[in-house]
Amino acid sequence: MTTNRSTRDVGETLIEVLFTIVIVGLTFSALFASLATAGNAGIAQRNSVQGDVVIRNYAEATKAAAQTCVAGGTYTVVYPTLLPTGFSTTMSVVGTIGSGGVVAVGTCPPVATPQLLTLKVTGPLGLQSTMQIKVNTP
Amino acid sequence: MNAPSRQHRQPDSGASLILAIGFVMMVGLISAGLLALATSGLNNRTTLQTLRNRQYAADGAIEQAISQVRGLTCLSANGFIVDSSLNGFAIRVDWINACGVVQSGDRGTTAAASSSDGTVAAQRNVVFSACESTGAACDPTKVIVRATVDFQQAAAGAVTKTYVQSWSVNR
Repeated sequence: MTTNRSTRDVGETLIEVLFTIVIVGLTFSALFASLATAGNAGIAQRNSVQGDVVIRNYAEATKAAAQTCVAGGTYTVVYPTLLPTGFSTTMSVVGTIGSGGVVAVGTCPPVATPQLLTLKVTGPLGLQSTMQIKVNTP
Repeated sequence: MNAPSRQHRQPDSGASLILAIGFVMMVGLISAGLLALATSGLNNRTTLQTLRNRQYAADGAIEQAISQVRGLTCLSANGFIVDSSLNGFAIRVDWINACGVVQSGDRGTTAAASSSDGTVAAQRNVVFSACESTGAACDPTKVIVRATVDFQQAAAGAVTKTYVQSWSVNR
């Protein structure tokens, strides 16, 4: 009588422990997976924010550079600070003024015709951000 | 001796399972919270990028309007343009042409000033308001960028220089 009861109790506990270990294992796997996903999303978010800052800085630097324009001259865009690691910028003329990719140095547009520019920022993990702006010769 | 022991053990049976289920639920909630946070952040980025593109579209549309208004005179009527060329937004720019102060003397009060010495004769202040195009004039509460630009004109009427007096991004 005593032996039977003791065997049953031990068996139930073992099954419970095994189930618990399996469930906890699966749960930890899910937890680590979600942590990894959240971590990757955080990195993507940070890169995206940095890309936004870079393209805004680049746009403002371009507009400021164009403010020094005189008709027929050129303007030089200087990025105001160091670019974050892994980021690069390009500027290209897509309007009717000029031709081909102009990087860092632009041709001042005629007074009556604003220049349409496409700014592009490339960052880590394939981040690409593109924005169009217009600049004028004052 | 054995009976009391059995009574003590029975209430504990299944406790591990309940603990495991509780643990699973807790971890599930934590995971859901983390994923919701990450998703929310990424969605906000999209919203902010759209906002940024709209602001720079309005900015560029005002540049376009400035170049157009430059060729007008102090007596020109108010007007507007619709610029659809930037970042996928159609931006309407309304301008109010305010004939400004003219230098003293016989140079009059309009752009048709009498001086011919090439000095500045008139200051034409124009207020530009940019908003998303809806087919109607810009609602003041929906203006994205508002700018005031001073066009300095020589006696002959041609603009010699433009000065941005204010440039505010509102929304």
